[in-house]
Amino acid sequence: MTSTTALAPAGEDTAEQIEREISEIVSIYSRLYPTQQLNFVFYAGKDPVWSAPSVIEGPFTFQPGHVNADFLGQRVRPGIHPGAPVVTVTVSIPRKPLPNELKQMDAPWAPTSRLRRLYRLSPLLYESVRYQAEMVRKRRADRLHPKVSLMRGDGSPLLPVPQPPASDKRPAILIGMHWLEVGGAEKLGFDTVQWALEAGLRVFVAASVPSIQRLADRLPDHPDLTFLRLDRYLPHHLWPRYVENLARAENIRLIHIHHCRPLYESLPQIRANLPWIKVIDSTHIVEYSDGGFPRSSGVWSNFIDIHHVISRELVDYYRDNFHVIGKVRLGRMLNGEAGDAGRTVLPEPNLRPGKTHLQVAFVGRLYYQKRPVLVVEALRALAAWAGRNGVELSGKIVGEGPFLDAVRALLQRYGLADRVALLPANSPVSEILERSDILLLPSNNEGLALVCYEAVERGCIPISTDVGSQDEIVPQDLLVPLEPRACVKGIVGAVDRLWRDPAFLSRQAEALARCWSAIARDPTARQVLMPVYRDAAGLGD
Amino acid sequence: MVALNKTAAVIVTFNRSAKLMKVLDALDRQTLRPDVILVVDNASTDDTRSLVEARARDDLSIRYLGLPRNIGGAGGFHQGLKAAYRLGAHYFWVSDDDAYPEPDAIEKLVQAISGFEAQNEWRPSFACSRVEWIDGTLCEMNTPRPVWDWPRFLLPEGGWALVDSASFVSILIPRWAVEQHGLPIADYFIWFDDAEYTRRLSRSYPGIFCPESRVIHDTPDNRGVNFSLVDEKSLWKFKYGARNEASWRRRESGLVGVLAYAYGVHRQMRDGHVPWKMRWQILRAIARGYAFRPGIESV
Repeated sequence: MTSTTALAPAGEDTAEQIEREISEIVSIYSRLYPTQQLNFVFYAGKDPVWSAPSVIEGPFTFQPGHVNADFLGQRVRPGIHPGAPVVTVTVSIPRKPLPNELKQMDAPWAPTSRLRRLYRLSPLLYESVRYQAEMVRKRRADRLHPKVSLMRGDGSPLLPVPQPPASDKRPAILIGMHWLEVGGAEKLGFDTVQWALEAGLRVFVAASVPSIQRLADRLPDHPDLTFLRLDRYLPHHLWPRYVENLARAENIRLIHIHHCRPLYESLPQIRANLPWIKVIDSTHIVEYSDGGFPRSSGVWSNFIDIHHVISRELVDYYRDNFHVIGKVRLGRMLNGEAGDAGRTVLPEPNLRPGKTHLQVAFVGRLYYQKRPVLVVEALRALAAWAGRNGVELSGKIVGEGPFLDAVRALLQRYGLADRVALLPANSPVSEILERSDILLLPSNNEGLALVCYEAVERGCIPISTDVGSQDEIVPQDLLVPLEPRACVKGIVGAVDRLWRDPAFLSRQAEALARCWSAIARDPTARQVLMPVYRDAAGLGD
Repeated sequence: MVALNKTAAVIVTFNRSAKLMKVLDALDRQTLRPDVILVVDNASTDDTRSLVEARARDDLSIRYLGLPRNIGGAGGFHQGLKAAYRLGAHYFWVSDDDAYPEPDAIEKLVQAISGFEAQNEWRPSFACSRVEWIDGTLCEMNTPRPVWDWPRFLLPEGGWALVDSASFVSILIPRWAVEQHGLPIADYFIWFDDAEYTRRLSRSYPGIFCPESRVIHDTPDNRGVNFSLVDEKSLWKFKYGARNEASWRRRESGLVGVLAYAYGVHRQMRDGHVPWKMRWQILRAIARGYAFRPGIESV
């Protein structure tokens, strides 16, 4: 594996770090400008992730600001001949990240200053205001972010169509990711890297968002894998030309986009100059504010060969908004045909009617999307319910993120700290779910939360907000409204009924089994994508 | 040979899934198959969506535009043409969900429109097929209207008649005409939307009637559009037709045009012995049409 700035060796000294970064910068810009003379002007960066590059094509004149206090020096990469045009790249060498930055880039969450008092008075009321704001954004989204696919001409048969150059290199794939951090889309991105290598493709990975890329060390250590640090060194507007040059030089036959905006923006260049390249994208969740990546994907639909989606909601989304059906492929993010645990039957629910000790779990990143504040509010309401019914309640919150401190403080404030444990993200989720009766997922939005699927396999009953494709895995009676107060009330109501009414519990268990089986019958992402990868590798049937 | 000939078929449908499937079968058999087949579903309540979805899974050219509510044929053609335009097509073959084109129908239309341009330098604003009823006779309701010099390019060795009005049953519209004249008027809901649109397109240059391109229109009966035929069952459609044409007449020739139209309609109803109760409703629709001023949306 090459280009591993994300995996800076421990104890690396400054000179080594600068030299390593420079060599990656020179490598990227040499790909972009293979024949020109490249003048690099280096600065000491103040940012740990972004190099703030600026490219000047043509003569460059130094101004006083160019030789400032951060000026490190220059380096020249000669052109193909002495008279080659000159391109100047001014670029900062990102500083080493601090230990706290390595752990968590997002600052701890705090309510906006205008609503701080409201939050102190009632976190639930604060959530309600935030929910209303979200719904306003949702209503405006259609007007502000139209769902119209960009037009694409196929060209005339009167003019020649570009043909792939002869290459002695094995076919390659470019996999574009949002970033290499924790997330559902990223999990699939890592899986596809593995599958592409298995299919015999050489793999190039790039991320669009500058970041520490903490999970870069999870990329397979494989000679056919290259992680390109475009996120760190290349402005988005230069991606299209870079991708074209990379594709020509490395015999790229397939591009797979996982929430990678500059790769979408590179598609016109690819379609015009490299029409033989097949393009796939994978999408997960429709965002309220602007439709998120499914909308972007739909807008670029005429430039994309296959839309891989993880839920039926997204199948319908593409049909209803972008009129496409045939090239949308549903592939679940599951490992096997009978579920991740390879089961064919489900265990009985851990919850029994009238049980005297209930354990409630939450598993997820502590970001607003998962509404951790509402998780605590629901636990508070459940604790009150448990007190009234002589039930001993305990909770486990598994996850990390900017809301961690706020969740801890709320648990203290509500007197739940002794009953609700905060566990790190790498805790054994399967074991926790096996010992839990209820899984709470009061998310603001979801694609299809796989943790619900896993919960069902462990006998833990999920209760979720009715968002995204959650109705595919959670029965109607266990779906609660999105509005925060109704959500908390709905959770308590559902738990009460499950605990009190054996017939209801039995019906829900049957409904969960039906949902689980239906999802298990659908093709997996691997089953959908692997044939495409194998085709690109020249191993198709 | 034309430089750019991406063709999109636009089919508007409502609760006629069996007939729609026959249309899709007929499109499958075309010698010049459209690059895109856009099915505009006017919120059908039958199995239209599932049948189209099943086909579209294997046929990438099929696209499905499901409208949230029934906005009439006019609305459907408006939305369909707009969507097809955005797909970058150069020709739009527009038709109903109960019209089955003969295998060479679309190819003949494309050949006619490009042949006419090559031979005569003028570019027709549309080309329409000969629409036949299921028994092979001319379909009365889909008879195009010729212009005064209609035989100008109709020569002993062949050629095409010039027309300025045709129905949305197997009509081929070039992209430039949509760019120049905009979209059909969605607010018409039903009836006269095709006549208004083709007359609007004809401002640039008339269309051509291509009898070599044939299509079978599978309607329950073969009746023309004449106000002597108004009855209880068809009254609602005639009211839309009267309102829409009156609106168009006002736009084109003012009050005098509307009065002349009203007189003509009155005479037809009188000759057909249409009951006075219905006559009044039609005349009121014409009066409404005088005040009805829908906008024209450009692309």
